[in-house]
Amino acid sequence: MVSEMNELKDKLKKYRLSVSEYEQIQKLLGRDPEGVEFALFSALWSEHCSYKSSRVQLKKFAQKSKRVLQSMGENAGVIDLGQGEKVAFKMESHNHPSFIEPYQGAATGVGGILRDIFTMGARPIALANFLCFGDPKAERMQSIVEGVVAGISGYGNCVGVPTITGQTEFHSSYNTNVLVNALAVGLFTKDDPVVTSQASGVGNWVVYVGAKTGRDGVHGASMASESFAADSASKRPTIQIGDPFLEKLLIESCIEVMKENLVVAIQDMGAAGLTSSCFEMAAKGNVGFKIHLDQVPLRDSTIGPEEILLSESQERMLLVCEPGKFEAIQKVFHRWGLDASVLGEITAGKEVELYWKKELISKIDPKLLTDNAPMYDRPFEAWKPKHKSETLSAQPLAVEKAAASVEGTSRRWVYQQYDQRVGGRTVRDCDDSVSVVKLLESGRGLGLVLGCRPYVMRMDARLGGYDAAFYPSLELSAKGFQPLAMTDCLNFGNPEKPEIMTEFVASVEALAHAARVLDAPVISGNVSFYNETLNQNITSTPATGLVGLRDNVDHIPRSEFTTAGDSIFLLRLPGVSFTGDQLGRKTAYAGDLDPDSIAKFMTDLQLLGNHRDVHSTRVVGKFGLGYTLFRMCGETLGATVEKGEWAKTPAPWSDEHMYEVLVCGPANLEVALRANSSGAKVWTLGKVTAGDLIIDGESKNLKGLSDAYVNGWRNHFAQLA
Amino acid sequence: MKPVGITRFLGTNCDRDVWQAVEALGLAPKWLWFEDQFDPSDYSAVVVPGGFSHGDYLRCGALAAKAPVMKSVSEAAAKGAPVLGICNGFQILCEARLLPGVLVRNESRKFIDKWVTLAPAGKTPWLKPSGGPLRLPVAHGEGRFHSDAEALKKLNDQGQIWLKYKDNPNGSLEDIAGVTNEKGNVAGLMPHPERAIHDWMGGEDGRAILGTLLS
Amino acid sequence: MKIGVKILPRNEVLDTQGRAVEGTLKAHGRAVNQARVGKYVQLDVAETDQAKALAKAKEIAEFVLYNPLIETFELEVVG
Repeated sequence: MVSEMNELKDKLKKYRLSVSEYEQIQKLLGRDPEGVEFALFSALWSEHCSYKSSRVQLKKFAQKSKRVLQSMGENAGVIDLGQGEKVAFKMESHNHPSFIEPYQGAATGVGGILRDIFTMGARPIALANFLCFGDPKAERMQSIVEGVVAGISGYGNCVGVPTITGQTEFHSSYNTNVLVNALAVGLFTKDDPVVTSQASGVGNWVVYVGAKTGRDGVHGASMASESFAADSASKRPTIQIGDPFLEKLLIESCIEVMKENLVVAIQDMGAAGLTSSCFEMAAKGNVGFKIHLDQVPLRDSTIGPEEILLSESQERMLLVCEPGKFEAIQKVFHRWGLDASVLGEITAGKEVELYWKKELISKIDPKLLTDNAPMYDRPFEAWKPKHKSETLSAQPLAVEKAAASVEGTSRRWVYQQYDQRVGGRTVRDCDDSVSVVKLLESGRGLGLVLGCRPYVMRMDARLGGYDAAFYPSLELSAKGFQPLAMTDCLNFGNPEKPEIMTEFVASVEALAHAARVLDAPVISGNVSFYNETLNQNITSTPATGLVGLRDNVDHIPRSEFTTAGDSIFLLRLPGVSFTGDQLGRKTAYAGDLDPDSIAKFMTDLQLLGNHRDVHSTRVVGKFGLGYTLFRMCGETLGATVEKGEWAKTPAPWSDEHMYEVLVCGPANLEVALRANSSGAKVWTLGKVTAGDLIIDGESKNLKGLSDAYVNGWRNHFAQLA
Repeated sequence: MKPVGITRFLGTNCDRDVWQAVEALGLAPKWLWFEDQFDPSDYSAVVVPGGFSHGDYLRCGALAAKAPVMKSVSEAAAKGAPVLGICNGFQILCEARLLPGVLVRNESRKFIDKWVTLAPAGKTPWLKPSGGPLRLPVAHGEGRFHSDAEALKKLNDQGQIWLKYKDNPNGSLEDIAGVTNEKGNVAGLMPHPERAIHDWMGGEDGRAILGTLLS
Repeated sequence: MKIGVKILPRNEVLDTQGRAVEGTLKAHGRAVNQARVGKYVQLDVAETDQAKALAKAKEIAEFVLYNPLIETFELEVVG
């Protein structure tokens, strides 16, 4: 009896199931689970697949607007742009794998998010990535940075999808737990069907396409749902290897079979591999599956059924088709150098039957694994601001110092490694605060921006949650784009700790509120919990990605000065002000956020962003006005600016406000700026000149500043080539 | 006018971009699939676009150079038809020995994406005789032109170097960004003219190269 | 029969990977005169006669495996 107990305990440990989960499984099955069932429950009930700690909270997100066609629950969200165009987009984390093996972890993260997009029938047209690294001096950090960037570049460039924007943050809280969040956007043009993962049609075939199955990533999904122990390097054997060349062939062949309407349903074999695709497709379609696991093409003949079920080998898809269409499907895949094999068929029953060499090894209702997964309402407390104060004692921060700091230095080393133009659609690339692709059929512009400022999150999770939606929306609006929808990647520590769960709930509620106010619903995303190593949790980081639409791509305001003699206007919305220390760290804030006036501010800005006289715009962000003005200077254009009535604190050039925007154009633009409905105040800071940056009479040599900005990277990352 | 043939290998990824550019210039593009051969007299010109043909495995362009379609491309080249290789297409033409030299890994060992300024020289039907510098984007990991001293001298003597970088991004020998064959009808370049066709792309200088298809 | 094809960059060609290896070794007190990074391709050819197997491998290497402009190759009998 004792030995049986111990055996069960070991088994539950191996499959990362809790005792209460085991009891729940017994209840659902009406018996003890056996054989591969442990593996199935382990995979599909993992945090990664089941969202068991977050589902309760995620219901707070509005997922509908008049444009939303597909939302959470599908491979990616889809919005209707009108004029026959639709876009699918989603963001996903690959944090744990990227820390263990940076190159492959990041590369397969890109591969996975791309499959989520083209599995719906959309052609991927843009990639973006949100990266959070530790202190450059932390152990392994330089090689992690190098590996992650090379992995993204190696994979994205080869598949031929441009990486058009990114955000790269550094903070010691990520020293042992980096964040690698990849976002992909796919485009449907006229008549392209939106294909779902919902299986249907009794007698239809279940077909496997793409790469052969190996041992890669077995137990990957449950690994991603666990905190790191010190010996994470020993988990290396489960790391998946990506092959972007194969992915490219898969993109072309999958899109071709979907365009020709040869496919009933399709899903990527992502986390938990064949298990998740089989069970999720069957459960969504309310049908049964009969699957012969021995028909799965293998890279290594010694692999058994359990490993086949859990393998996370990359670049594989599962599709359902009518038997009569299989030959046509096979022809397309052969043309692209790939194989398609029939694994089984859809049955009238409601169960998934798994066979191994003609022997039934498991028969189970898929809903027990998907819909009946546990759901935890983890304990949390109501949000109490910790760093709110009445008065602010600001410390000035020199622009030179900000430009040379690891937070402020140029990211060019990173994004120069990305192909930003393949596809022939790129209008604005990583150099810009908003990246833009042209929708070639309608001529309209699709804007893409990432959001979440970890330093705001560190100060206040609620404020940071709002900011993760508002700041990128403001950036879109300032370029004349209307934000339409967003995706998120909620990176948090251990949800079993109430202080982490409290931050999670506070930021999700804020993000959800902001999304409602903006009418930009959260239509896809993922949650990454357990970003914790040896009890050290990361900065709670709810990363977002927003898309916006603009009628054309002509005269989009630049992010740099364009014309000497232009007036520089500051538009400031009364609300929250931050203050920081002499290193630029934010320590406290004052004031309250008014979401409704922020939404009005956006509408005003969208009009301005389409005004022909608005030459350039830039949202004032990290390090405040001085640093933002410097970023607007070019090789030959500087500015002369002076303090005015707007400067109310001792550090007016480095304080930050939620929110303010710089707008440049002819002096008479002021009339249009003043005609705003949000209550934003308008000030003239000075003029664009053909000289240096002169702030309050103090001249800052542009060449020197720009050297500090560029060399800053090399100084922090001396070990990188 | 006869259509412009655009080759497609497994892993080619600038094929649609070239297609769009050719269409934007008012010409008719047509695909040339890597497993098929074609009759060169059916085409006014052939473009070998960039990408990662056959995954860039073994050596960039090496596996594509052996594909059946390249037999026809060689015939077209021998008959004097204009043939242009862009980026990976340039690598393929070098591996197929239709162009001299070879492209190896960037000196930085990193992929590089940026706009560069190029000084045109030499004589090739692929260049409008405007003569001014061109601004085009590059995006490659293996774009460093290499050749032995003897062959390099020949390239210089015969005016086969048609594009040189003003600010060499990859360590290319003598800042070479593009070379032609002896006759000049076959040309290769690392920068992407198809990514600089419209003002909204950031520049239109690519027309100085692809626009020659019109004449 | 298995034949190995060792491919190395020519000495006069800058080997960026080799240079990076040299740099790392030097930084860790293990300086070497030179490091060259190449490729190794193992071919299983349907021949039992060694001379025939080598001839086949040579033909294959010259067909596509190496580029004489930048690389050299050597064959070895693996067994």
